[in-house]
Amino acid sequence: MKSRLAATGVLVLAAWALPYGLGSYTVHVVNIALIYALLALGMGLAMGVSGQINLAQVAFFGVGAYAVAILTTHYGHGFWLSALLAVLATVVTGLFVGVPALRMQSHYLGIVTLGLALGFINWITNAHLTGGADGISGIPVPTLPGVDLSSEYLYYYLEVVVFALALLFGLFVVHTSLGRRLRAMRDDALAAGAMGAEIPFLRMTAFLLASLYGGLAGVLYSGLIRYVAPETFSIGNMFILLAMVIIGGRRSLVGCVVGAVGLTMVREWLSDFSTYAQLGYGVVVVAMVVFAPTGLAGVPARLRTLYARRRAQQPSRAELRPFTPYTVEERSGPDGVLLSVEGVTQQFRGLRALDEVTLAVHRGEIRGVVGPNGSGKTTLFNVISGFYRATAGTVRFADADTTAARPYTLSLTGLARTFQNLRLFGQLTVRENILVALDRTRAHTIWQYALWQPGVLARERRLRARADDILERYGLVDFAEADPSSLPYGIQRRIEIARAMAARPRLLLLDEPAAGLNGEEVQQLIRIVRSIRDSGTTVILIEHNMGLVMSLCEKVTVLSSGKVIAEGTPQEVVSTPEVIEAYLGDSDPAELGLDTPRSAARPEHAQEATP
Amino acid sequence: MPRRFRPSRPSSPRTALVAAIALAAALSACSAPGESDSDTRSGSGPIKIAVVNARSGQLSSLGEWEYKGAKLAVDEWNKKGGINGRKIQLKSFDDQGDPTTGTNLARKIDSENYIAMIGTAESAVTIAMAPVLKQAGIPNITSGQSDGLVAQKSPFLFLNGPTSTTYDSTLAKYLIQDKGYKKIAMITNNGSFGKGEHDAFSKAAKDLGVTPVTDQVVTTDQKEFSAALTTIRSKKPEVVFIGSEEVEAGLIVKQARDLGITAPFAGAAPQGTPVFIDTAGKEAAEGTIVSSPYLGNDISPAAQKFAAAYKSAYGEDAELHGAKAYDGANILLTALKSSDVATGKKLADAIRATSYEGLLGTFAYGPEGVGITRTTIGVIQDGKLVEQK
Amino acid sequence: MQDTLQTLVGGLSLGAVYALVAMGFSLVYRTMGLVNFAHADIAMIGAYTASTFYLTSELPFAVAMVVAIVITGAIGLVIERVLRPLENKDFDLMLIGTIGFGIVLQALAVIIWGTTGRAVPSPLHSAPLDVLGIRVRTYDLLVMAVAALAVVGLAFFLSRTKRGAAMQAVAMDHEAATAVGIDVGRSNALAFAIGAGLAALAGGLVGPMLYVDASLGGALGIKGFAAAMLGGFGSIHGAVVGGIAIGVLDSYAAGHFQGYSVLVTFLVFTAAIMIRPTGIFGERTVSRA
Repeated sequence: MKSRLAATGVLVLAAWALPYGLGSYTVHVVNIALIYALLALGMGLAMGVSGQINLAQVAFFGVGAYAVAILTTHYGHGFWLSALLAVLATVVTGLFVGVPALRMQSHYLGIVTLGLALGFINWITNAHLTGGADGISGIPVPTLPGVDLSSEYLYYYLEVVVFALALLFGLFVVHTSLGRRLRAMRDDALAAGAMGAEIPFLRMTAFLLASLYGGLAGVLYSGLIRYVAPETFSIGNMFILLAMVIIGGRRSLVGCVVGAVGLTMVREWLSDFSTYAQLGYGVVVVAMVVFAPTGLAGVPARLRTLYARRRAQQPSRAELRPFTPYTVEERSGPDGVLLSVEGVTQQFRGLRALDEVTLAVHRGEIRGVVGPNGSGKTTLFNVISGFYRATAGTVRFADADTTAARPYTLSLTGLARTFQNLRLFGQLTVRENILVALDRTRAHTIWQYALWQPGVLARERRLRARADDILERYGLVDFAEADPSSLPYGIQRRIEIARAMAARPRLLLLDEPAAGLNGEEVQQLIRIVRSIRDSGTTVILIEHNMGLVMSLCEKVTVLSSGKVIAEGTPQEVVSTPEVIEAYLGDSDPAELGLDTPRSAARPEHAQEATP
Repeated sequence: MPRRFRPSRPSSPRTALVAAIALAAALSACSAPGESDSDTRSGSGPIKIAVVNARSGQLSSLGEWEYKGAKLAVDEWNKKGGINGRKIQLKSFDDQGDPTTGTNLARKIDSENYIAMIGTAESAVTIAMAPVLKQAGIPNITSGQSDGLVAQKSPFLFLNGPTSTTYDSTLAKYLIQDKGYKKIAMITNNGSFGKGEHDAFSKAAKDLGVTPVTDQVVTTDQKEFSAALTTIRSKKPEVVFIGSEEVEAGLIVKQARDLGITAPFAGAAPQGTPVFIDTAGKEAAEGTIVSSPYLGNDISPAAQKFAAAYKSAYGEDAELHGAKAYDGANILLTALKSSDVATGKKLADAIRATSYEGLLGTFAYGPEGVGITRTTIGVIQDGKLVEQK
Repeated sequence: MQDTLQTLVGGLSLGAVYALVAMGFSLVYRTMGLVNFAHADIAMIGAYTASTFYLTSELPFAVAMVVAIVITGAIGLVIERVLRPLENKDFDLMLIGTIGFGIVLQALAVIIWGTTGRAVPSPLHSAPLDVLGIRVRTYDLLVMAVAALAVVGLAFFLSRTKRGAAMQAVAMDHEAATAVGIDVGRSNALAFAIGAGLAALAGGLVGPMLYVDASLGGALGIKGFAAAMLGGFGSIHGAVVGGIAIGVLDSYAAGHFQGYSVLVTFLVFTAAIMIRPTGIFGERTVSRA
């Protein structure tokens, strides 16, 4: 804590003293570098943190700069009023450019945003308002009482203050609730949606942040250069900006800044050999992408891993602790139907994955869904959890029609799930994975980021305390800071369940929770699922491990080729001829150990399962 | 970590830090950082002149030609012993066609004590640099021709050729008064050069009582013009005015001929260059009317001498941009000699006072920084620009 | 009416070139899941090589084209080798990696051929055809014919030859393809080489229509990419339809909106792609959540 404070102090002093040692030209280059650093921050927030390929950053920059130019020269507004309006205009533009992100991602989004950026350049080159290709000159010097901002030395201080605030705000966002959700969305948008992250809202937020930083950079640019022309906002400069972010490390804001400042300096230094310099950036970008995708910012971490491996680390004492059961909730209220699926059909082009599926799950039940591979089990989960919209039929959850509901809406109304192929957020720590699901605040509370930051921090503290409880309960304390993908499979399965339960759902969908677990782990899983149900959460699970299904579920639904072919207690189901035929083929049930119902293990209130 | 946003308690080390920063800031207000403008520009050592142009990217061929022209002039002066016994040192800077880079360079040449600047060919870059150069007192001889340059009203900015207005009023006069054309079509691009041409020509034509039958605008990177040219064809013009750079003009003429437009084309200097003729094809370019201050390397004995020197120095034929830069550099060097290597305002005044007989004609600068207001009409015949008398 | 048709002809001929570019994109994308942003810059290299052999070595145009296709295909193999670690992995990184490659190729072109660029005279000397007042350049007809042949040839290769079938199998499921004994690495390399060859074909053909310089890739690339998206990424038919659509859209936008054509083209494109993100013929991997 103290060393950090000291480091901050040193940085502040260095930033303050810097201009004293520099010539006017170097100060100008530093000023330009800071503007690029702001742009790179916006780019990093959109691309590195939120995973939105935004190739229109240079257009945001342009909107900010041009808006100031137009408002000051054409309309005679003061610089600061114009600056405020310019940032607003940029944010509006950013939201507009972000709209396509609601429908497409990745390279699609890249091309569309690049196209819109080209459109913007085309507009400023033509329009009378923007002075056409000649641009707009004569932007007034921003005024501050007692400070002459026409001096680049003093302008530097203005930039440094804006930049420092912007960097701090960026770091604040990244390390708290909003940024965690953005990062979760980047790592796995589907899983993030299932954890209650409002994906469309978050995507727009990513563009809002990118455009906010772009607008600020544009305002500072127009105040510094006091002339705007289309060439500054060219696609070539967009790619340079991209190179800055990639070389610096797109996932780290500090990396983005290092990349921007570094590349601006190198560019200036190599300005006499710009073609070779361009060749150089290209080669470095390709090399970075192939050999160091995390950029310069990722290098220390890589070296540390290398060093740790060299030292042949002493065997870590981290272990998976036992699960602490939930306190049993006294069952209150009627055991009505929590989820009902009525005549649901799901058609994929030629394939009918679900065919008129109907089932009802009661509160407090543990329901098994079984069936051969390709029988539509996971499709059913996807329909229930809102990933697919059923072609026909209705889904009702908690007394509301949720057929058309989005995954995050369902999550917020109390539905959680795990995934067959483990969908943990790979770049988040285990603790952060839990925190994403714990965070039940709606996305619109992000106004706090703008107006009441202490509120965000207070909430953050509460969340972290609860995350500690969950880590403790699921025995994951030793792995709290670990990268989930580095952990053994069984532990990852446990984390998925802990993450789903962090959302305190009313209904938990488990998709093959026992896949890949050893015998001991399966026993632990059985204890966990029982305890979850006892805590008041209804559970539906897809499972191939019939032993688990027989011992855990009060009632089993059997799917085959998208149809429900049987439903009933495990014993009833396994003796149904259709099931034996569809599910088991020719093999003898006895060989598969299916004829060993463990009725003794069945809880008491299972008998009221059938309406 | 977002520590800064936590409410801070008094007497924490943080408060001390903030106080320290505030104190530092208060102290610094008394002694703001800055550079004492030590003008070591006069005195001994080589005379440093900067050439700023795009040396990479799309416009770098222009930059290349200009540098060669300016270098030729400087080499000739150095061969004669320089100025007042001091050698002239020419250094090329690459603005990459980018105004921001241009402003960086303006500061750079100021801090490295260059006394004058030649370039750029891109009006937008020159306009961006102008305020900085004006503040630093560095005279700039640009090869842009946009009227926007004149609008800067900088006493340190000089053009080494005529403005678009000169080019196009000469051209309009020829087309309308001498040839009697009434139906004129226009096709210009929306770039800085094209827009300047568009405005200058349409104004000149209107002053002579002719309104263009159609006015097509294309983009600078457009490659396919059938839509615009089809419209032009349907208007059956007697002549088509083109306002765009060499390559695009060439493509327009080539495609126009393919579409069956037989009317001659007319335009400013770019249409007189070999690049234009190569791009359009010799047949398609035939009959193109050009308004240019430098029709070719044979127009005068001085031009022939320049062209020969250029050819022997670089192994390629000279053209307009090289000639303009050669004139510009010569004017600057003459002014330096006449002012005993003055700098800043004095040098600018010396340039303004210089009367120079150049390749483009007789230069005499007025207060607006334009030294020459005359162009000649030429017509392309057999792939060569021939003066029209 | 005549104007409209003439504009259409202009759009079609440029559309044929966009279609060739988009086809190369799509072939590489569907086979190896590589979004190759450098594709159009490969086309630019192809245009330069073809014109160099045509103008400097004075080879016949067709021979120059073949040489250019071979050389560019070889460059394609090198690029594929470098980017192989990224195939079927992180789309975003790949996108950026290929953008980096594009920057490298442009700088190389400037270093090798300079910045001035060159005009390539048309290899056909016959006068344009005049059909009811609509002028059609014979060279444009040649370009359309070659593009059509390329489509048919590629379709034949993919559906009727063993290597082509192997490539299709890799496109559908590269793990399963490995399991049945297809050398995925070689198949991918071949796909990339063919993609680069198609790019060279597009570049070489576009040379005499337009002008060859280092920025040619930028002009072809974004619109070629847009064409591939509009048609449906990875679909060969889609590439053709998308290419022609973009060419015609571009041409009409230039006619009606003049200087604002780029803005209009991309706004229309964005709207179209918003309505149908998977393009006309659909695509396998669009993430929507």
